[in-house]
Amino acid sequence: MNAPVVVRNLSKTFYDEGRGEVRAVDSISFECREGEVFGLLGANGAGKTTTLRMLSTILAPSSGTANILGHDVVTDPQGVRKNLGFYSSTTALYPRLTARETIDFFARINQYPADRVKERVEYLIQRFGLTKYADARVEKLSSGMKQKVSIARTVAHDPLIVIFDEPTVGLDVLNALEVQESISELRSEGKTIIFSTHIMSEAERLCDRIAIIHGGRILASDTLAGLRESTGQHYLEDIFVLYVKAGQETV
Amino acid sequence: MIPAVIMPVMIYAQKFANDRRERTLTATTYLYAVTGPLADRVRSLIENTRQAVAGNKDEEFDNLRQFKFDEIRVANPRESLDNNTIQFYVQAISGEEADKLPRTNDGSGPRPSKRLTGVPRVTVIYRADRDGSDNAHNRVMELLRLAREKDSQLLLVDRGFPGSPKGLFAVQDSNIATNGQVTGSLVGRFITLFLVMMMFTGGAVASMDIIAGEKERGTLETLLTTAVRRTEIVTAKLMAITCVALVITLIQGVNFFLYIRLKVIALPKDFDLQLPTGMALTLLALFIPLAATIAAVLLMLSAYAKSYKEAQMYFFPVYMVSMIPALASVMPGLSLRSAIALVPLANVSVASREILMGRPDTLMIIVTFLVMALTAVFLIRMSARMLAREDLVIPSHSEPAEFLGGPALFQKRVLRWFALMWAVTFAVAANVPQLATFQRQLVFNEVVIMIGATLLMLKFYNLDVTDALSLRRVKPVVWLAILFAIPSGYLTALAIFRIVNKVIPAPQQLLERFAEDFIPTGMPMWQLYLYIAVLPAICEEIAFRGMLLNGLRRRLRPAALMVSVGIIFGLFHMTLFRIAPTALLGMILTGIALMTGSIFPGMLMHAGNNAFGLWAGGGGLGLETLDWQYYAAAGSIFALALWIIYRNRTPLPTRSVYRGA
Repeated sequence: MNAPVVVRNLSKTFYDEGRGEVRAVDSISFECREGEVFGLLGANGAGKTTTLRMLSTILAPSSGTANILGHDVVTDPQGVRKNLGFYSSTTALYPRLTARETIDFFARINQYPADRVKERVEYLIQRFGLTKYADARVEKLSSGMKQKVSIARTVAHDPLIVIFDEPTVGLDVLNALEVQESISELRSEGKTIIFSTHIMSEAERLCDRIAIIHGGRILASDTLAGLRESTGQHYLEDIFVLYVKAGQETV
Repeated sequence: MIPAVIMPVMIYAQKFANDRRERTLTATTYLYAVTGPLADRVRSLIENTRQAVAGNKDEEFDNLRQFKFDEIRVANPRESLDNNTIQFYVQAISGEEADKLPRTNDGSGPRPSKRLTGVPRVTVIYRADRDGSDNAHNRVMELLRLAREKDSQLLLVDRGFPGSPKGLFAVQDSNIATNGQVTGSLVGRFITLFLVMMMFTGGAVASMDIIAGEKERGTLETLLTTAVRRTEIVTAKLMAITCVALVITLIQGVNFFLYIRLKVIALPKDFDLQLPTGMALTLLALFIPLAATIAAVLLMLSAYAKSYKEAQMYFFPVYMVSMIPALASVMPGLSLRSAIALVPLANVSVASREILMGRPDTLMIIVTFLVMALTAVFLIRMSARMLAREDLVIPSHSEPAEFLGGPALFQKRVLRWFALMWAVTFAVAANVPQLATFQRQLVFNEVVIMIGATLLMLKFYNLDVTDALSLRRVKPVVWLAILFAIPSGYLTALAIFRIVNKVIPAPQQLLERFAEDFIPTGMPMWQLYLYIAVLPAICEEIAFRGMLLNGLRRRLRPAALMVSVGIIFGLFHMTLFRIAPTALLGMILTGIALMTGSIFPGMLMHAGNNAFGLWAGGGGLGLETLDWQYYAAAGSIFALALWIIYRNRTPLPTRSVYRGA
């Protein structure tokens, strides 16, 4: 079977009046296999967020293609978004909706079959332990609870592919762990997950395969074991630094 | 910054509306008819009084002297008045006949007057619901009263001499428009403005937050990753704004109605608003796309703003500017059967007035409806497109240009500078009498504003002078081409305006008056050439083709640059009828600057053009009335000159170079 996510030579060029042309993403290619957690590991400004925003069709690519379950991000953005859940530290919730209303709204707006929406909402409330707070406005919830509502709304329409763009930024250790657990659970449910982070330990713990991204380019892409083997280093941090230094030399 | 610009824009618009109103009212030649057995006597009275007024230089009679009216023969004056063939008619009946008429009437007929028995009666019959008719009626009444004062018979009677009552006459007026029609005309004039104001302020309650607020809270990004289309998002939001706007307008309307019922607001005497169902439905059919368009404007504003606060900042100017077209109904003689039907908001304004006056023009109402619907759709699409613009959708935490400063920031600020320069030019021209003379105003505008602002910008943003002003050498052949382009370009422009004039005629008188006002008499020729040709060419080229063009060229493509720099250049030439020609000249000069990469050829072209105009105008060469083959020849030479310049181009890089095609 074809890979659910196929990215080929994807580029994004910004024009900035001060700096001129900026290549935020420079011809990257990768594939995600079904049911795996694919990690994009890179420093701030490496191009992770831009790549994931192109996959979620918020940004249009300057060149190259990206295909999600057979839907092209440029020619069929609706088809892409229907099959995708997108979560990032900047995607906020409507403060005046309750948790239940939020999940319900996002299930409907993402075209989840109308007759099963109610059932789905109840399932997610249960699953994320929101029962007690389901009818409180989101603005009243603690940040940990908001986090859970956010993940619940991301998967409200039961998408096959879920993108997590630096989901743990700004969270305390316990909340971050909860998010990581949610991601593991989603994988065990069979979802394909693209996950970006700059935290080595997260990538080590969660990712089936890791792509090291720097300066808008993918420098290496393999399983953790594969990366260890080809670099002879044990710690991901060392592996990462090694690739980035080598990458800078070639540039 | 915005308040500094908005007031002059408003004053300018108001001045334009007033000028146009005055101009239309005085420039019109009113047609009328005279009826009744004593028609000949009235004719000679009017003729004598006109001559007397024409010979009198008193300012008091200025209005009357400018009043132009011609008598025409019509079979049925009443019918001709109703279908606007004539603006009024004068009915003169003898004393005996007048005595026989009943003294009282039902309000629609002639008003009873203080008339002695046996005195002939002169009645001016008009329609108060039409500007032209109402205005002509006021003037002719003035004239007739004057005639009456001058009538020697009356003098004799006044002094106690026995006069023949047959020699006297009584003057009265009679409005054949019903109260309903007059009310319709009054309400029609302001209803659109009222609605625009209500819908704007009402819709703003919802619109400010609807996208801008979502950006601020970060929920927009969440929404954009869902399966809904951008157009679905904006359409849903548009409907929300429209609903809020309509509900608030309705509440305001009910409020207003209650005030009238409770007599808090007094209505004019004889107020009688008739609104049959058909009329109400037609109005509604226009007001719904009006509401949608206003909601779309508000939505776009919200989509463009990065935050709630920014949206609020844009609201006031957009609101003020949107009120201008809504005032179109106040202008006299503006019929929907004209280009106005294509101007959104203004067309609804004029259409509602015509509908309320009971003269709906079905075809043009359909055109109006379509124009409004298309405008709304266009604006919705623009808003949807804004949701795909990354710089607007994704909150950027810093603008690199802000801290880089210098040339990068200049590109972002150049338009604000020119807006401020425009505002200062306008405010000073209107408010400083010391600068009212030709020379002083020119020196102030050219040297203080253009050169002064250029120097400030160069210093402020630390710009490289050669680069910012395009001070570059060009190939010698370009100079030769420019020399040919000057007279041929001038004639080509003349030909273009002759053609345009055939479609949209500009009042000849106004053009003549402008020529008189603009070129002072008694000035030595060399000084005239200095002030009109040399000074503007140097200063304006530095400002527009130097600073403005270089500030904008990284952001726009050549065609867009020509249009925008040309129009901005035109707008600095305040008098309305100079905007179009100067904008055209500005576009050509921008094109030359882009092709040659230098301001010098443009300077020569500009100076040459102005000098040629001055020389041709002063010499009375009659270039405006040449045969078409001469214009065709001039056009060919001009095209050839431009082609030579193009072939020898050393172009300025523009957007396409910076961002790729």
